[in-house]
Amino acid sequence: MTELRQIAAVCLVGIGSLRERYATALVIVVGMACVVGVLTSMLSLTAGLTRAYLRPEDATRAIVWAERANFDQSRSLHRDVIGTILDAPGIARSSNGAALADPEFLMRIPPLEGFAAGSLQLRGVGPAGLALRPAFRIVAGRMFRTGARELVVGVGAARKFGLTVGSEVRLRDGKWPIVGVFSCGADIIESYLVGDAVIVMAATRRQGFAQVIAQLVDAKAYPEFQRWLTENPALAVYVERKTDYDRRELGMNTAFFTRMAYVIGAIMALGALCGVVKVMSAAVRARTREIGTLRAIGFGATPVALSVLLEAALLGTIGAVIGAAMAWLVFDGREMWVWGAFKLHVAPSLWVLGLVWALVTSLLGGFLPALRAGRLPPFEALRAE
Amino acid sequence: MKFIPLVWAALWRNRAESVLTLLALSVAFALFGIMIALNAAYEQAIDDARMDRLIIACRFECGAIPLGYREQLARIGGVTAVGGQVWLGGHEQDEHHQITVMFVDEEMRSAWPELPLSPADWRALEVTPAGIFLSRKAAARRNVRTGDTVTLNLPPGSRADGGTTWFFAVLGVIPDPPGWGQSNPDMIVGNLRYLENSIDLEERGRVNVLRVAVDRPEHARAVCRAIEAWFTNASPALYCVPARENAQELADANINMRQISLGIGAAGLFMILFLCANGIAESVRERLSEFGVLKALGYGDARIALLVILEAAAPTLLAALIGGALARGVGAFLAHLAVKGVIDMPEMRASPAAFGWALVAALLIALVSALAPLYRLRRMDVAAVVAGR
Repeated sequence: MTELRQIAAVCLVGIGSLRERYATALVIVVGMACVVGVLTSMLSLTAGLTRAYLRPEDATRAIVWAERANFDQSRSLHRDVIGTILDAPGIARSSNGAALADPEFLMRIPPLEGFAAGSLQLRGVGPAGLALRPAFRIVAGRMFRTGARELVVGVGAARKFGLTVGSEVRLRDGKWPIVGVFSCGADIIESYLVGDAVIVMAATRRQGFAQVIAQLVDAKAYPEFQRWLTENPALAVYVERKTDYDRRELGMNTAFFTRMAYVIGAIMALGALCGVVKVMSAAVRARTREIGTLRAIGFGATPVALSVLLEAALLGTIGAVIGAAMAWLVFDGREMWVWGAFKLHVAPSLWVLGLVWALVTSLLGGFLPALRAGRLPPFEALRAE
Repeated sequence: MKFIPLVWAALWRNRAESVLTLLALSVAFALFGIMIALNAAYEQAIDDARMDRLIIACRFECGAIPLGYREQLARIGGVTAVGGQVWLGGHEQDEHHQITVMFVDEEMRSAWPELPLSPADWRALEVTPAGIFLSRKAAARRNVRTGDTVTLNLPPGSRADGGTTWFFAVLGVIPDPPGWGQSNPDMIVGNLRYLENSIDLEERGRVNVLRVAVDRPEHARAVCRAIEAWFTNASPALYCVPARENAQELADANINMRQISLGIGAAGLFMILFLCANGIAESVRERLSEFGVLKALGYGDARIALLVILEAAAPTLLAALIGGALARGVGAFLAHLAVKGVIDMPEMRASPAAFGWALVAALLIALVSALAPLYRLRRMDVAAVVAGR
């Protein structure tokens, strides 16, 4: 108990003297703010992509796609097998008894003019497609009519490619009008043009869908659903939980950037670590007489050492909070386009990661100066100039 | 020159802290150097992609273009060569290890001369149709050498004989072609004729991509438009893009370190600016009497300023040099990670420009750091300081 009181007292003395040492304290705060700011800013990109792809409702959904052939890899789920897939056990049903599963058609659309204008993508959906996306809302114009050569564009794609109601895109059979703009709760589908799958396939003379998204009754229904499809001799399909599929695809595409973020965070932390050791050593040097006095009036070595360690941790934490706050202010919610529109997300988990990163760095950096402070002989310390 | 002993003595007043400052500065400059080199590497990947090479694919993602288009393309003005290319992707013996082989025909020698296959390599492909060449990175990742066998497994239906495994003899290791950026799989080159003879009859005579060489880079856009117009009503219709613009589009569409590397480098330097400024301010504060004596001896403000700036610049310049050397080491480590498949990035090369920028940044940091102490020294009451008041 006495030790704890001593620690608290020494810490208060140290923190009280920070006002006189604000310039040196600023070195740690700014250093950690930079480290955490860069780390969280970079990781906000993968967090944003994850939020756009991994929707909460996907936890009870599955995705079915065809085993690959030599050519035409993305649309090899022939329409003849769709009925069989929709008969699989475990698929949720709507009030009218229809399976809540949607065969989707995906394709890239070349730019109307010029070269290399980015990757505008078209997603053909069926009647269940909208039921699977309860957040889908038309924000301008109207919805495409089933069976008509019409498209609606997501707000992300509309902004990126300057498309609006009345714009046209060229498909194989000519120009298609855009009749509406939709939002979908920041889902990645906001980066797509959406139309009636059957009509789009007819226009592009394709026979195959890319995938079937199925809403299962519950998460427990998946094993039976998966077994039924993969063991069915009439089908040659892959089945995966939607969340697993998205996580795998996303992980493959973002692995480089995520690893790079950690490598850069580690290099910066190493620089900051040297800074912390330097600054805390200078702080101990500046407080030598104060420490000597404390030791002379009965304070133990441990409370003195801990006070140095805690001071480093406190400054590191302040820096981490500032860094994460700066990243949040500058980047959170900022729209980007990487394979589709999404918003950068400085997630709470990134704040925690930044705090832990800074705390570990500060504590490591404060360790040697703390040890030195604890081992200062009181009489020598008192004689210091 | 006469300042050097003074600067040297000032730097080593507190050895441990000076070394720590130097370490922190060196790490920051190493990061800065890596970021500059990384930025340059991504820029280079775009610059290496040539404007006079065109990439032709299906306009509406048909996946396969008839090889018969080649003759029609060759008749379009400005086209000097047309080569066919097919990707075949599957997995190795371990199904977690993806592998994609790019099969090319011999017309690629003219259509894509940057493909790093020597005449001897082309002859080897001709003599051993089931042979492949791997890029250094691809070979290192798979730990294979010339003479080894690489397998590619695909679902049933990919081979005419009903087999699912393709066996390829490694004929040699080649460098990555210029402009082979982050978005492409490992460079593994095979013989298109062998693929043609091994797949189902109905799938023969088709390619994923046609590559076209044009006579002059400035003709590229016009030739592309002519190709698209020629094949507008064909089935499939074609989409054409100059390789350079395609590389630019890919760089913009993917997560790209090029866009953020300079920001990270700047953040690293900002991180150490305070450390450097604090160090020089502390040094001047502790030696006010020394500066007072110098002033009393007749040192003017300009000479004092030079002394302080030199004192600030010495560690930053030294750190820039050490950081440059460290950056090469860290760059080599990152390249090793890239080869191992841990990260993926274009090859970084040591650049004098990066080194120059680091030195400029070091000088700027020193100047900014010295501002506050210099202001303090200018306002110093020499008599009071010398008297110890």
